[in-house]
Amino acid sequence: MTAAISVRDVRRSYHRPRTSLRQKGPVVEALKGVSFDVERGERFGIVGESGCGKSTLMRLIAALDRPTSGEIFVEGMEVTGRRETDLGFLRSSLQLVFQDPMGSLDPRMRVRDIIAEPLVAQRLPRQAERVAELLDAVGLPAEAADRFPHQFSGGQRQRISIARALAPSPSILLADEPVSALDVSVRAQVLNLIIDLVGDLGLTLVFVSHDLSVVRHVCDRVAVMSDGEIVETGTTEQIFDDPQHPYTQRLLRAAPSMRRALEGAGASDLLGDGR
Amino acid sequence: MSALAAQESPTASGTSRVLDVQGLDVRLGRFHLLHDVSFTIDRGERVGLIGESGSGKSLTSLALLGLLPEDARIGGSVRLAGVGYDLVGARERDLAQVRGRDVAMVFQEPMTALNPTMRVGDQVAEAITIHAGRSSRDGGARTDRAAVRTRTVELLDQVGLPNPADCARAYPHQLSGGQRQRVVLAIALANDPALLVCDEPTTALDVTVQARVLDLIVRGVAARDAAMLFITHDLSVVATVCERVLVMYGGRVVEAGPVEEVFRRPRHRYTQGLLAASDLDTAEPGGRLPTIRGSVPPAGAFPDGCVFRSRCDYATSECAVLPPWTGTDPGHGFACIHPAGEEAAR
Repeated sequence: MTAAISVRDVRRSYHRPRTSLRQKGPVVEALKGVSFDVERGERFGIVGESGCGKSTLMRLIAALDRPTSGEIFVEGMEVTGRRETDLGFLRSSLQLVFQDPMGSLDPRMRVRDIIAEPLVAQRLPRQAERVAELLDAVGLPAEAADRFPHQFSGGQRQRISIARALAPSPSILLADEPVSALDVSVRAQVLNLIIDLVGDLGLTLVFVSHDLSVVRHVCDRVAVMSDGEIVETGTTEQIFDDPQHPYTQRLLRAAPSMRRALEGAGASDLLGDGR
Repeated sequence: MSALAAQESPTASGTSRVLDVQGLDVRLGRFHLLHDVSFTIDRGERVGLIGESGSGKSLTSLALLGLLPEDARIGGSVRLAGVGYDLVGARERDLAQVRGRDVAMVFQEPMTALNPTMRVGDQVAEAITIHAGRSSRDGGARTDRAAVRTRTVELLDQVGLPNPADCARAYPHQLSGGQRQRVVLAIALANDPALLVCDEPTTALDVTVQARVLDLIVRGVAARDAAMLFITHDLSVVATVCERVLVMYGGRVVEAGPVEEVFRRPRHRYTQGLLAASDLDTAEPGGRLPTIRGSVPPAGAFPDGCVFRSRCDYATSECAVLPPWTGTDPGHGFACIHPAGEEAAR
């Protein structure tokens, strides 16, 4: 069986804006040769700090950007090097949920039209019924369809984003920091929703977060990224209980934990040895 | 050391109390945003203020510094050691002297807290000279520029900036988020304030950078024996940094006490719910997390009586009446008629 997502030695470099008239801007390597496979039905986590390339990687997998070199396959089909018009298969099989629901939902569109947009774009049938089904699936009332995004709280907006992502019945869901902007009590609700939907619909989940405890809760396997590279990959237990790479060890140590704090750990205990 | 000199200012009250907030009450327009908030912080004590967005945490900190909009109606009192008058109702001219000298603040977003058109060294120096200039009018020594520059570099060095002398010449946009937050911290600590208020100081930072900044804040406060009020929505950060904690919801303090006690044995149902929802360490991997139903209501839409009863699973008709404070003092207790932990006690 082919992997849901297969990434082969993907590199992406950007030109910084020039600062001199004589020279070109410096080249920044956002991804320096990344390879991994995500199996079908797997819940795959990617952790790393800002600027490590995790969002660039998401954009490349979703074909919103092109790699400088390397190949990406989604369900056995090559994504890289295709024209936008040839990406129909990808748009129905893979969908995204972003961090900031206010930035990713059009404020002038009603929720009905937001959720139906992928259906309209892909000319899928029974749009009205599908919208009602999706609202129910994400735990929003049917009346929500007639309202605008600003009339909802942050957690509800993220539910709308999830409903939109699920509209074309994708088999893969990419979630880029989906709960980072939410309050604790609402975060738990949205995490439960994502876990339930992924289980019920048999989705493959790629979950990107800077929050280690969230990734640990949601994912089966984790890749740790630093500076454009994957420094360590393993099952969730391996990464969290027995991290091998020094960067992973430093990251785990730096994350404040309630349990360790109540056992007497202070701020200085978050720092690694030396600096 | 200047840290010691600041301690010897004529407080002369004999106690180590730095901040005393009594019955703080804030109304803005038709909204009643803060209700009867009372707490104290002693010298060298680190107190956390937690709650979700919209619970009144930031409003409380702004009220302490007299930074609320002019049309806000504020009741109660805010007393600060070394300041002979109530900060509530004080004139802006007086408040401007207190801010940055007796109480300083570290904000969440260092890019907006810093002036983008000024070198960071000048911004640290400004914090020193503004207050030093005032004391020179009172007959103190005139501050000379070389001394200010030395002190600036010293402060930037204390907050762990590499090459502090070069850093002082940088503009904020040339620094990373963590470096900017260190500059903000250097400015806040410049005059050895008796109270440091930190409003979500590390929320915008990466975990490894957060770890470093938290350590610097704790060490900076400890070196000055200052009091600290630390506002965050991240419970594990509070547990790591603070000794005592205040839990806010709907503009009220619903529970208060030592971190150990409140986080191990929460009494208020809101605290209990918040802890359960955020505890990913002990939750079964991939299993369901306990949640608090609904979401934080917008300002003005909190229920009468117990503010939490619209989301509480234990609420009864009795909760329509404001629950009394159970506990010895405002710094230790809870306001709940059906508290958690009763079952175990019986």
